[in-house]
Amino acid sequence: MNEYIGIAVSLVLAGVISGAMVLLGSTLGKKNPSSEKLAPFECGKDPFTLPMGRFAIKFYLIGILFILFDVELVFLYPWAVVYRSLGITGLVELGIFLGVLMAGFVYAWDNGALNWR
Amino acid sequence: MTDLTLLISELILAGMALALILVARRTQKTPVAAVGTVFAALAAALTSAWILSGGSGTGFGGMIIVDGYSQFFKVLIAATLALVTLLSVRSLEEIPRGEYHALLLLAATGMMLAVSAHDLLPLYLGLELMTLCSYILVGIRIAKPTSNEAAVKYFLLGSFASALLVYGISLTYGATGTTDFTAIASALSGAGQGRNVLLLLAIGLVAAGLAFKIAAVPLHAWAPDAYEGASAPVAAFLAAGSKAVGLAALGRVCLVAYGSETQLLSLILAGFAGLSIIVGSIIALSQTDMKRMLAYSSISHAGYALLGLIAGTPEGTSATMMYAFFYVFMTLGTFGVVIALGERGEKLDGYRGLAAQRAGTALLMLIFLMSLTGIPPTAGFAAKFVVILSVVRSGHIALAVLAVACSVVSAFFYMRVAVFMYMNEPQEPAPSRFPVALSAALAVAALVTLIGGISPGSLAAWAVSP
Repeated sequence: MNEYIGIAVSLVLAGVISGAMVLLGSTLGKKNPSSEKLAPFECGKDPFTLPMGRFAIKFYLIGILFILFDVELVFLYPWAVVYRSLGITGLVELGIFLGVLMAGFVYAWDNGALNWR
Repeated sequence: MTDLTLLISELILAGMALALILVARRTQKTPVAAVGTVFAALAAALTSAWILSGGSGTGFGGMIIVDGYSQFFKVLIAATLALVTLLSVRSLEEIPRGEYHALLLLAATGMMLAVSAHDLLPLYLGLELMTLCSYILVGIRIAKPTSNEAAVKYFLLGSFASALLVYGISLTYGATGTTDFTAIASALSGAGQGRNVLLLLAIGLVAAGLAFKIAAVPLHAWAPDAYEGASAPVAAFLAAGSKAVGLAALGRVCLVAYGSETQLLSLILAGFAGLSIIVGSIIALSQTDMKRMLAYSSISHAGYALLGLIAGTPEGTSATMMYAFFYVFMTLGTFGVVIALGERGEKLDGYRGLAAQRAGTALLMLIFLMSLTGIPPTAGFAAKFVVILSVVRSGHIALAVLAVACSVVSAFFYMRVAVFMYMNEPQEPAPSRFPVALSAALAVAALVTLIGGISPGSLAAWAVSP
């Protein structure tokens, strides 16, 4: 159980600090509401609408390219932590891994996935 | 470094796929991709033999194994890849070539990884790589709505089956604490008679997930739609490759990992086999689309191939290996004739009077159809003989009788094509000349089908179970 105490402390701290900020902001802050300000914000889109209308497919392409770099980062972080113990072998292996990922990126680039047209 | 040499065949295929992806846009109008794919397939087959000549062994912490069993299937997969590439030469007008060949190569990489897996996780990884590429290959003709529909259906059912397999793997891990085949086997034999419900569920789910890959009833629903919507070479690749790999994986999992649970496994596999043979043979009778008919034919063949695994013995597994080998060549040959005839070959009526127009093509088709039915002197007879012999030896006489009876039923729809070819008047203009690559692929398939029928024993030495 002991090893979870640190997590519990940080949860409590996070809760107290963020709760205090919201509380202080809502009690002491100056209010100047307008309809634009009160609307919930989510990437420029209204979050609660019926799924009608059209949505540019270009966003999905960007989403897929984002996953490419996301995966790359997921593997780079643990590698960076144990970099010294892995040594040159780890560097070469990660180079091959990045090469494979980048081949996909070069393909997407080559075929115009980055052109916003 | 020595670990990597165990995977050299896979590395060759994956490397070629990456190279083709990089140059894809600049080689669209050239045969570079096809030539590269065939060479990579040959290199992969040769290197797999070369690696085995240094003796069998395991690598990557026991996850990857090189033995006669994996090498047998690697050569078979390489042959499938090369033949499908040769068969695709005429179907490349409407699809991006570089991407098509790269996906074929990556699918074959996944297949090879799956057959050399000695752990449930690389097995799953390989099978997923194969199926993910297959989804795209089925839908690669983006202009055709039927192709898109087939790809979406295949994707939805395929993800469901993958989920079954993963549940099975996780339950196996829960019951035994490991995913390594040998360790699972020793954990199961050590547990004694304490039957664990978790384990029964795990074995059932793994078997079901793998049965999807070979399109065994009741997990067959994707096959007819996917084959019909996909272009004929892709359908051939799925019918031959996916089935061979599913059987290879089932063979190793049943014999090595869950080897102590023979009773349960033979019950499950006998169910899959019996249902597949009956449903495949009977529904094929009413098909008028050639690819749908071959899809139901492949479902019934999945059932026949499973007969060998029911016994749970090395001999039975060897029988299934021989069945898979001969099935790949005869089904690729049949699809090859369908591809060669183009639009005409896709429907049953297109075969009317073919013998009067193209005697050689009709003769080849007759050989492949006889082999699929199981008539000597073709490989199909030898293959059916060994699996039915194995099921008789294991004591399932009723299943053997059923297999023979359904074989007679299947003769009706196979031989109907032969009757159309030889006893009807031609209704359509004669087909144009076939490209050399296509003829070469047909010749190889016919040669193996005939040699396999005349001296099946020559292969038996290679078909060693794990």
